[in-house]
Order: sequence, then C-alpha cells, then structure tokens
Amino acid sequence: MAATAVQAPRSGKTESYVDNKRKDDIRMANIKAARSVADAVRTSLGPKGMDKMISTASGEVIITNDGATILNKMEVLQPAAKMLVELSKSQDVVAGDGTTTVVVIAGAFLKQCQTLLHAGIHPTVVSDSIYKVSLKSVEVLTAMAVPVELSDRDSLVKSASTSLNSKVVSQYSSLLAPIAVDSVLSVVDPAKPDLVDLRDVKIVKKLGGTVDDTELVKGLVFDKKVSHAAGGPTRVENAKIAVIQFQISPPKTDIEQSIVVSDYTQMDRILKEERNYILSMIKKIKATGCNVLLIQKSILRDAVTDLSLHYLAKAKILVVKDVERDDIEFITKTLNCLPIANIEHFRAEKLGYADVVEEVSLGDGKIVKITGIKDMGRTTTVLVRGSNQLVLDEAERSLHDALCVVRCLVNKRFLIAGGGAPEIELSRQLGAWSKVLQGMEGFCVKSFAEALEVVPYTLAENAGLNPITIVTELRNRHAQGELNAGINVRKGQITNILEENVVQPLLVSTSAITLAAECVRMILKIDDIVTVR
Amino acid sequence: MAGEKLFKDEATEEKGERARMASFVGAMAIADLVKTTLGPKGMDKILQSTGRGHSVTVTNDGATILKSLHIDNPAAKVLIDISKVQDDEVGDGTTSVVVLAGELLREAEKLVGSKIHPMTIISGYRMAAECARRALLDRVKDNKDDAEKFRSDLMRIAMTTLSSKILSQDKEHFAKLAVDAVMKLKGSTNLESIQIIKKAGGSLKDSFLDEGFILDKKIGLGQPKRIENANILVANTAMDTDKVKIYGARVRVDSMAKVAQIEGAEKEKMREKVQKIIGHGINCFVNRQLIYNFPEELFADAGILAIEHADFDGIERLALVTGGEIASTFDNPESVKLGHCKLIEEIMIGEDKLIHFSGVEMGQACTIVLRGASFHVLDEAERSLHDALCVLSQTVNDSRVLLGGGWPEMVMAKAVDELARKTPGKKSHAIEAFSRALVAIPTTIADNAGLDSAELVAQLRAEHHKEDSNAGIDVITGSLGDMSELGISEAFKVKQAVLLSATEAAEMILRVDEIITCAPRRREDRM
Repeated sequence: MAATAVQAPRSGKTESYVDNKRKDDIRMANIKAARSVADAVRTSLGPKGMDKMISTASGEVIITNDGATILNKMEVLQPAAKMLVELSKSQDVVAGDGTTTVVVIAGAFLKQCQTLLHAGIHPTVVSDSIYKVSLKSVEVLTAMAVPVELSDRDSLVKSASTSLNSKVVSQYSSLLAPIAVDSVLSVVDPAKPDLVDLRDVKIVKKLGGTVDDTELVKGLVFDKKVSHAAGGPTRVENAKIAVIQFQISPPKTDIEQSIVVSDYTQMDRILKEERNYILSMIKKIKATGCNVLLIQKSILRDAVTDLSLHYLAKAKILVVKDVERDDIEFITKTLNCLPIANIEHFRAEKLGYADVVEEVSLGDGKIVKITGIKDMGRTTTVLVRGSNQLVLDEAERSLHDALCVVRCLVNKRFLIAGGGAPEIELSRQLGAWSKVLQGMEGFCVKSFAEALEVVPYTLAENAGLNPITIVTELRNRHAQGELNAGINVRKGQITNILEENVVQPLLVSTSAITLAAECVRMILKIDDIVTVR
Repeated sequence: MAGEKLFKDEATEEKGERARMASFVGAMAIADLVKTTLGPKGMDKILQSTGRGHSVTVTNDGATILKSLHIDNPAAKVLIDISKVQDDEVGDGTTSVVVLAGELLREAEKLVGSKIHPMTIISGYRMAAECARRALLDRVKDNKDDAEKFRSDLMRIAMTTLSSKILSQDKEHFAKLAVDAVMKLKGSTNLESIQIIKKAGGSLKDSFLDEGFILDKKIGLGQPKRIENANILVANTAMDTDKVKIYGARVRVDSMAKVAQIEGAEKEKMREKVQKIIGHGINCFVNRQLIYNFPEELFADAGILAIEHADFDGIERLALVTGGEIASTFDNPESVKLGHCKLIEEIMIGEDKLIHFSGVEMGQACTIVLRGASFHVLDEAERSLHDALCVLSQTVNDSRVLLGGGWPEMVMAKAVDELARKTPGKKSHAIEAFSRALVAIPTTIADNAGLDSAELVAQLRAEHHKEDSNAGIDVITGSLGDMSELGISEAFKVKQAVLLSATEAAEMILRVDEIITCAPRRREDRM
C-alpha cells in the first residue's frame, strides 16, 4: 500500500542541521511520496473507475470511489503526502466533487516537475510557470463554459448525473440526480440567490430496500420510532407539533436532593404527587391543542418516563423522543415553530402545523414522517435506502457530491463539458501558448500542458480502452476545432460530449486546476524537512 | 593539579580555542539552515513535529523555523534569541538577522585564525556598525508629510515583505489589505484590533478585509438574525442555575411537590438573572459560557440575540472593539459599560455561517478573512500577513524608508570599506571583514534565486561605486535594476534592528572563551 511506501524518513531527535547536498533529495523524496498518493487513487477516476475497499483500524470496512474519503482514511505520514490529502479535502470544501481529479492532476504536475528539476531548472521558475498555467487555464475554461439558468432543470440534472456516474450507485443516477437538483433548488433562498447552505438538506439513511427506494420528502423524516408505550397514536392528521426542550418526568433539581419517607402513607402520597405533577404538565400541553411532541434528548434526567408516556398516550399525543439537540435548529426551521424550553411557555403560537404525522414501516425498521407542513421553511429531507450499510454509506457520499455539484452551479452558473474534453482543450491551448512564451517558462508550460492529458488518459485507461489511441484521436479532434469532443466511456469512442449530456459545473474544473497548482507549488518550494518538538 | 576535580560529575568544561570553535560552528550551522529561505525566491521548510499527531507546518518564516528547533549548542541559542527579539520588535527581517550574524562570525573565525585578538575584532565591528548605520541614515527617505507618497511607500514595503512569502503571487492584493488595515489603526501599534480569521476553501485571492468584527459562532434559535443599532452586553457568566458550591450540600424534603418547588425556584432564579440582563436595555448578549435552552428561549422571547460559548479571545476582542466591558454580575446596570455597533447580521463565508458586527465603536477595528486551499497555506498566510502588519505599523510611527533588494547592504558595505581604508591598525581588518559579511546578504539572495551571485554582486559593487546609485538585485529578471523604479522598499527600522542586533549577537559569541555545561539534573532521584 502507498501508506507504507511513503513512510517518513525518521531522523535523529536532535537533528538540527542538514547538509545542503541533501536538499535535492528531500525535494525529490517529497515529490515521490506525493506521487505515490496520487497513483493510489488514480484508478478510481471516471465513470468506469474502480472502487477501493478500506478497512479501518477499528475493523470497519468502507467501500468507496470518492477520492476525498479514500485519502482521508489512508493515514499517510509523510508530510508532502499529507499535503495531497489536504488538497483533496479542500476540493471537497470548495466544489464537493472532483476530489480524485484534483489529486490526479497534482500527481501529473509533480511528475513533470521531476523531469524539469532534473533538467536543472530552478524550482522557483517551475513554480512560477505553474502559477501562470493555472491562471491561463481558468481563462481557457471560462471561455469554454456555457452559461446555465437555474430554471433550466434539465442541464442541472445532467451535471448531477455526470457526477453520480462515476460512483458505485451509477445505475441509479437517473433517480438520484433529480432528487439532488430538486432538494438544492428548494432550499435556495430567493433573497440570497447565490448562497446555498447544504445543512438545509438533511440526508436520512435507513437500511433496507434498495437505492431505488430513495426518495425526496417534502417535510421531515426521523429515523426513530414513535414511542409505543401504552398504545399511543402512530398517525395524526392535522397535527399541531411542539418541539420541547424540557422533560416530562418527575422534577429534579440541580442541587442534590433526597425525599425523606418516614412511613407507608407518605409513600403513597409521593406516588400520587408524582402522577399529579406529570398530569398537570400534560394537561397544559393538551390545552394548547398540541397533538405531536418532539422531545429533545436530555442527559441530566430522563426526558420521559413510562408514566408520562402512558398519560401522553391517553391524551392521544404522538411522541417522538430523543431528538438530538443539534437537530433542533433544522427541525424548528422546517416546521416553522419555536423550541419550548419550559412548560410555562407552552403556548399555541410556538407550535408548528402539518397535515400528517405518521409512522411508516420500512423494511425491518420504522421511521416517522411529517408531511404537508404549513409554512415550511426552506429545507428538504432525502431518505436514502440501501440493501446494506456499505451501499447506504456510499449512496450518501455520492448524493452529497451530487448536491455539491448542484450547489456549485447555483454559486457560479456555468457548465462545462465533461469526459476529458476540457483537459485536452486546455492542453492544446496551453501548448500553443507556450510557443509564444520565452525562455525556461515556455519550456515548463509546455510540459505542464502535456501533464493535463493525464485526465483523459486515465479515463480511457480505467474504461479499458487503449489510452494512446484515444488520447491521440481526442487531440486530433480538438485540433480540428471540435471544442467539446470528449471520451464517451459508455460507447468507448470519442463523441461530442455535450450532446451526450456529460456536463459538469465550471467551478469543479477551475478549482481543481487552481488548487492542484497551489499545492504543487508549495511542495516545490520546500527544500528541507526539519524535525521539531 | 590535573586530577583535581573542580566540577560535579558529568559537568563539562570547554576552554579557549575549542569553546570558540564550538560556538562558531553552532551559530554558523543555524545561519546556514535558514539561509535558503532568504529573499523572494527563498525556499520553504517543512517542520515535522515529533510530538503527538506528527503535525506538519510549512513555512518560510525564519523566526518560526528557529523557534521550533531542538538546539543543544549554546551559541546557536543566542542566534535563535535574536531572531525572536527581531520578531517581537519589528516583526520582519528574522532571517536576515540570523544570516548576518552567521556571516559576521564566519569572518571573525578567519580573523581569529590569523591571530587577531577577539577584542580587536569586536571594536572593529563596533566601529563598522556605527558607520554603517550612519551611512543608512544619510540615505533614508522620509515621506511623512506627503500622505499620498507615504501610502505608496507603505504599499511598497508591504509588497517587498510579502514577496518573499507564500502570498507573493497576490502580493498587491494583500499589500492593499495590510496597508488598509494598518492605516485604520491610526498610528497605534496595537495589532490586537486587527482580527485574522482563517477559513479553508477558496483561494488566497478571495481573502478580504472587512471593517468591523466577525465572530465564528451561531445565533441562538428563534432569535433575530439581524439587528440594527445594537447594544451589546459582553459577559462571562454561567447561564445555568446557581449551584451551591459546598460539597455534599443537599436538600431534604418530604414530598414530590416540594422537589417541584425547588426546581421551579431554580428556574425562577435563572429567569431573574435573564431579566436582569435584559434590564440593561440590550438587544444582543454575548456570553463566554454556555447558554442553556431555557435562558435561550427567554432571550428569544425578548427578541434579544444571544450568542453562547464564544471563545475567550473572541469576547475580549469583541469587548475591545465595541467599546464595552466584560460583565459577570448584573445587579447594577448603570455601572456596566455596554458595547455598541450599527449592525449585527449573519454572513456566510465558504460553507460556514458567521456573525458580523459592523459599524463598531472603535473605528480602527477590522477583520481580515483569509481563504486558502489548505490549512498549511492558511497558517503560512497568517504568519506572512502578520509580518507585513508588524512592519507596516512600525513604519507608520517611524516613517523612514530605504530601498530593498540588497541595496542597503551595498550602501553600508561601501561606507564601511571606506572606513577600513582610513582606519590604521589591526582594526581595519575587522572593519573590512564586516563589509564582506554585509555583502553576503545580496549574495545569498542571488544564490537562492539560482543566479550567478559572484557576477551579480561584483556588478552591483561597481554600480554602487558611483554616487547615489539605486541599484539592487532584481531577482525576477535576474539582473541589476533600479530599486526605486521597481518599487522595492524596506523600512529603516527593520534594517537598523537587523544591523545592530546581529552585531551585538556576534560580539557576544566572540567574547566567549569557555563553555561550562552543568551536570544534568538527575531524574532518577525522584523515582
């Protein structure tokens, strides 16, 4: 595995000075380590890329195709290799997709750097050329891009499915892509049309069924059971929902207390008091007309007791307990209600209203669905199903990528062709540009232009095609002015990729190039590894 | 006499020649280590921690590298100290000062080799340093009276400082950020009111300067997300029930109703506290500790924006910039100083939501939001920006400016050379050596850029033989250039500090003739 290959060179603890002679070696060692990381994820690029199985230290097994996830779990030690892992993470933050591409491009750049450094070119010159390449690339890519409107749902779905096509769940892309598009579009705030907070899209995973059963829920879904004690209702129509942050259980003070019981009659009385206490609370709740209670989890004391559940059931109130505090914000936003932290503040205006709250059996488990919410906030829930935990997790990751892709389009409304078309076009235009440049820079730019061919090359290779024929043909088509010619992996040939509906957001491509360039430049500038405290 | 033991076991003593050699070697090793980071084309280092997590830092900042080294050699420690002092005093030139001190010692070593007494060398160095300082003073420019020119001076200094750092590609952008931020300070060197927030994602170019203050926290549930003309109460108080702190205190009751009463009383206490806080006439409450659900709801009902769990640094700064005080008791609202700002709103940077306070009381406060590919980049960017801010704030006070790119060193070297010729006696050797050490700085800059240093420095020296030359090394084109045209400037204060502290450090190490290593304290004793 790469992780073992990139073990850091251990040096003595008091080492403080490294001879100058070693400096080239350090740079080379860094480049090598980083490249081996890039090679490790290379095969997972593209629609026919392979998956990796990762078994973590805790014995858990993950199967994924997502570059960021693979790298994250790899636990590399070598500092330069770590930087590549970081690089992939940043791409995840910025664009959410293209996490493999960015690492593969960085690896290809580094490979060219090796040759250039061997030719005796100063690292700073190489680094400056990379910077120029990245600036020029953004220019070229922007020129290639096609603007897209948010109302053009088709284009959005296309780009989401391009992202999904390279994942394990690719056969479901026709189902998941529209879900991703719809859920993002539904959370866009008209007041701030450029911003999407993906936290407003909640993904609930539930084992069982197949990915086919994944659905978009206009409302709320809890992966929880309705509390069944004493036969409370499991379906409520015209629900009035309260989100409470207090507990319906016998009182407990912060100061330590004990109840002194001295005789038998007192015991009876205390039990009765307890019952009355709870009953009075429930009466107050009932008085507002509330019929669904969402109760926040409490660590200090029981949120509900059997007794209170019993009374709640009697009052025909549906109870969902153990709601996490972190979810409260999402829930209140969705239900358009306010959390209630004290029984005294239990008032009707703080409730949320929905048409139906029901418990649905799914496979062996049950979930609670709230639909038809009145004045629903700008949030969405996606219920993901899968036949086993591995598929489920991967489906969630893929869906997240697809959501990010749509988000990118909302931020920057341009599309660009996929299938290696932008990279080969970049390579061609940069190659032409390098001829105008003078001196070392021209030479460097030329080699980086070649390096970009790695993306179509790898795509073809992973798809089992002959990479050399494909890349040369691709180059040929682009030279003839077919801007959007790309590899059609399904057909195994070169076609106009825009017509094949393989599109991706511009932001993914541009940030991949700029981030890769930034990272490679940093690695190049390092001439020493110093061990410190 | 031999055999008579003077020191404890394991304590060692090194004398005369050997001691001097040891300190020379140590100091020079340190200088050589950071030498490659000097100048616009200097390289970076990876600092790999041997501690937990093997965290990795990538940096070009001399002070940061030296600070984190394991060093055993006492002389090397002296150099690290001067680099630290340089960092504290002026913020930049941390590498230059170490390289210069190293070169001075290298020259001194040769002189000692040719039987010149260290004291002679020291007095020669002193004369040379004084003469160099005067030479610089003769050539400084001061544009304090001309606001327009002064600003362009600041821009130039910022760009020169940044050009050797990671921010070099976007130096204009960042120079503008830094200058704007420092100009807001209006002469104070208190960099605390400039807040730097790092957010991963985006690229360095997306970094921006924001007037006002940004707090990386969330607004409580159901509370207003936007407040105009806010009165802010900054507090550090526990917002749960007041606990009885005596251990083992407990209440005995004989019925459930009484427990409920106590619980109610606890709640009531909390409500009282909240009412007291609300009674201050505020519409924003920032607490360092947690605000629990119950008070949060009370605040929401009162339409007050409550922010819980702000970090300590955050609330101190917030109190500073909004002109408030951190309160912990709320009994007399008159004595509590509230903070004010024009607008509080939620903004989104990258994927995160932050709270933005604008139009704050203290006009000089501002926030710089850094964006970058990874946290390595962000950390390094912060260090670089901090250097630039330090230098700028110093320059605002002492507006004397010099050219950069090896120009000051050549000016000094020329003056020192002339002094050497005029000085009779052995001292003149030392003075000459000082001039050679100064020339080593442009040499290193050229070397790091992969240029032919011998050729360039010789050309530079010839150029400087003319009166009033502005020649320096233009690293970008790899030739000599007119520094005033290229806009490469440095602050006089930085150069002066480099010169004086390097000389002092060299002098201190030269004086050493004996190193006594004390016996290590025994650890086993305690076991």
